[in-house]
Amino acid sequence: MAIKFPSIDFFRELARRMADNAAEFEKLGFCDTVMGVKVDGDSAHLYALTFDVFDCTDVRELASPDDVELDFTLEAPLALWREMFESIKKTGTPEPAYTLNSLSHVGDRMKVVYDDPEGHDKFYRFMATLQAFVDQTSDFDIEWA
Amino acid sequence: MGYYGTNDFSYNSDFNLRIRDIKKGNLDFGWLDDARETVEVRRRDPRRGLTIEDCEVGPYAIENTPEVIRENRGLAPRGAILDAATVQPDLGPSLNKKSDVWGYRVQRYWEEAMSRQWNVSTDVPWHDMDKHNIPDDLEIAFCQLCTLLSEVEMIATDLPAKWSHHMNSYFQEVKGFIATQAIDEARHAEVFRKRALAGAGLFRASVRGEHALKGILEADSYSEGSVFLHVLGEGFILTLFRSSEFISPTPVEQRMFQLVMQDEARHVSYGLQHLKYLMDNCPEVRPQINGFLDEAERHLTGLFNPDQLESMIVLGGKGTKPDQIKKGIEVVGAFQGKQIEEYFHRAERAGLPERRERSPLLELQQRMIAAAMS
Repeated sequence: MAIKFPSIDFFRELARRMADNAAEFEKLGFCDTVMGVKVDGDSAHLYALTFDVFDCTDVRELASPDDVELDFTLEAPLALWREMFESIKKTGTPEPAYTLNSLSHVGDRMKVVYDDPEGHDKFYRFMATLQAFVDQTSDFDIEWA
Repeated sequence: MGYYGTNDFSYNSDFNLRIRDIKKGNLDFGWLDDARETVEVRRRDPRRGLTIEDCEVGPYAIENTPEVIRENRGLAPRGAILDAATVQPDLGPSLNKKSDVWGYRVQRYWEEAMSRQWNVSTDVPWHDMDKHNIPDDLEIAFCQLCTLLSEVEMIATDLPAKWSHHMNSYFQEVKGFIATQAIDEARHAEVFRKRALAGAGLFRASVRGEHALKGILEADSYSEGSVFLHVLGEGFILTLFRSSEFISPTPVEQRMFQLVMQDEARHVSYGLQHLKYLMDNCPEVRPQINGFLDEAERHLTGLFNPDQLESMIVLGGKGTKPDQIKKGIEVVGAFQGKQIEEYFHRAERAGLPERRERSPLLELQQRMIAAAMS
């Protein structure tokens, strides 16, 4: 069954899979952060994903970034998110140019928005977990908004 | 032997008589009489197990410990009973003030470090190296980068190890955290060495880089060493790791950098929180820290040594042809600007906003911007 992106169901499914893949995520270690995901397009969507210990315990769509205290937010246009997920789909992991770090580094195609540098550093402290989290989409049948 | 105790217990008749007595079954039970406050230690979140923060209770808690530790100069753990009748050996810790070492949330960083350990031998997909054919110039450039990073990680292993025994044993959380840092950094030196040897080998050691690194090790105080290593040095290296993941020739190296950047970011976070704690609780050291950073930031430009810069340019442009070099210069210029900007932002949040105005890095940043625009 196709899952729409962006949608709250998309991220809930990732959270559910994270719980199912407990061994993989427990090996990567504690992950404690509240990450924002912003999808820019005709109508922008902003989601807050709460990671606690080994799980993604809460997923919600926000009307405003002030609704939840976010450590950092990854912002990109829908087309770029699509390129990233399609890259992951090819082999299960992204091509070098489509890792979360590569996309958000030089050129800032994906923006990392933050207020507190410690919140920003959490993106890097938990990088392997967050990358594994999005890599779980490799067998998703995604319906693009 | 460098230390001769004040008492030779093997020839102490009182001690030997007492031991003989105990072996005959004449126990004194004096140690059972020490009154202790009972504390409740429980797992607040079973998924985390019993954490350091769970154990921050009653007389054992750091928040109930005075700013300056006067009663303990030995190895007594915080909360243990000190025997007033006997003289504890003085192990000479020079860091006896909480603001000398403490950082907000250090307990969490320690737990996070323990939870997120990884293994160079098994967690990097070395078996995939054969799947990728890396051109010689890129491979050599990558190994040149690995050589510099091995040097950097050596100093980052040595700095926490150098200061640990100077810390009063009551600051166990900081000693524990920096012990994990020493392990992390040793693992980083291991991964860069292994990757180089599995490829083209180690190349030129960096004289300029090593001068910069010596400045870290020779800092006069732990706080100076920490602000140089954790905030300035590792902040720069964290961005360098991000860039290295970005320009990695294959997914094998990308995985390597994803793993090392996690550790590095944790060290940066601790350094930031130590600097913040220091500025909040000991603002009188601000001129000293600023004066130190004026020099440390000059030292740090040594990490921009020509061999490293050229290898990054070749990796960033994916080759040595003129158009590739042009692209590489753009990539490297962008990340260097980011290194400096992120450092200023961290310093500002830690309570040193003046770095942005007085830093020698400012001129370097402006030169980079001018070069990028020309």
